Amino acid sequence: MIEKEHIHSAFDRDLHNLQSSVMRMGGLVEASIINTSRALADNDEELARKIVDDDQLIDGLESEVNLAALELLALRQPIAQDLRFVFAVLKIATNLERIGDYSKNMAKRTTVLLKTPPPNGAVASIRRLSHSVQVLLKDSLDSFAERDAEKAREIIVRDRDIDLMYNSLFREFLTYMMEDPRSITPAMHLHFMAKNLERAGDHITSVSEQVIFQVTGEMPKDDRLVEDTTSYEAVSMGAVN
Amino acid sequence: MNSHGTGEKPAASVKILARDVNVHYGDKQALNDVCVDVDDNAVTAFIGPSGCGKSTFLRCLNRMNDSIESCRVEGRIELDGESIHDRSLDPVQLRARVGMVFQKPNPFPKSVYDNVAYGPRIHGLVSSNQELDELVEASLRGAALWDETRDRLREPGTGLSGGQQQRLCIARAIATSPEVLLMDEPCSSLDPIATSQIEELIHNLREKYCVVIVTHSMQQAARVSQKTAFFHLGWLVEFNDTNEIFTNPRDERTESYITGRIG
Repeated sequence: MIEKEHIHSAFDRDLHNLQSSVMRMGGLVEASIINTSRALADNDEELARKIVDDDQLIDGLESEVNLAALELLALRQPIAQDLRFVFAVLKIATNLERIGDYSKNMAKRTTVLLKTPPPNGAVASIRRLSHSVQVLLKDSLDSFAERDAEKAREIIVRDRDIDLMYNSLFREFLTYMMEDPRSITPAMHLHFMAKNLERAGDHITSVSEQVIFQVTGEMPKDDRLVEDTTSYEAVSMGAVN
Repeated sequence: MNSHGTGEKPAASVKILARDVNVHYGDKQALNDVCVDVDDNAVTAFIGPSGCGKSTFLRCLNRMNDSIESCRVEGRIELDGESIHDRSLDPVQLRARVGMVFQKPNPFPKSVYDNVAYGPRIHGLVSSNQELDELVEASLRGAALWDETRDRLREPGTGLSGGQQQRLCIARAIATSPEVLLMDEPCSSLDPIATSQIEELIHNLREKYCVVIVTHSMQQAARVSQKTAFFHLGWLVEFNDTNEIFTNPRDERTESYITGRIG
């Protein structure tokens, strides 16, 4: 990676500011995921509502990034690595905004779960998945900040584990629902939360792909294994017992 | 898309081939081992900082450097497979086949008509006044200047605007039916509108000619060329499809130059 400076120092400043905005956005999204998990564990309704409200900050930063990127394209006409950087930033910002939305959605479901307590152990399973996703997000943001394509490649591989965890949660929640129909409401909410986290993992993969493109100029081939097999799952009451 | 055939891009034919071209001005080496294939019916751009050798190389292609006493050109340069340094080849004939347009518009102090008619007259390309009239009109049309000058053909060429003068020079260059057009920063003294007109013209000229352009404007190279060559300190650093050069250059020196970083 070239770390040489531009002859126009203001150009470097613009690029740096753009990167900072994306990192700030990433930090807010990461905090949102951590807080959602905490709100779920502590039955903290106030925190859950704050997460929902704070999503506006993420959306606001996304608009800020979009505008700054547009201005940079218009005023500086970046090319080569600079152009790839701006292109990557625009896509990464979109991905982060979506992850923020998933987290907000989870926070909303948390407020419902306060009224219909979920089965024992189910929350802990969600929290484990949430933690894995949050670490994955943190590492992908690091790979962006450090322009580290190798690290980004590892993240794409690690997203498979998220898919596998989601698959097993899917079965776990099905089992709860079959054992006790009263658990259907909380288990369904927990299942959607798990699905949100699995989708967040896919967006983190997309962030990592952008990092690889930005650094190497090559889009990674989409040959990764998709381990989420629940789309093909058919369940009969006899199958689980 | 091509509805018949294999859908593969046809291999472009090579118009100019250069191998191991070395140029010295006295003791100073200006170019080192330059190898390039310039495609026919395409625009090839030479970019690089001042003094990198891009203009020197351009001037090798029609032996313009012959007139510089201290300049020594070594290596092989072929036009359609024939060496341009062959003893049997007349440099004047070569320059009729390989036309040149310079940085500053340099019309002769003659009328618009006579500027364009000059080449065909001295090369004896026409046998009647009517034929000459037709050739002048076709050349001015080819340079997208006819509509602006059809009523001013007897006025001095130097009375035209800068952009019109440059198009007049292009009309003069294409009047001798060249196969190759060399352009050395053809827009650097023009305003953005005239620049766009010349760029549009360059884009259309490639249908009939092999065009080579030296430019200091990266955006111009990106806009008009299909292939780009980056020269640095007398070396050809990178030569590739223009879209590759500007999205994903392979050489760090190219990257530094085109992104405006300190080299």
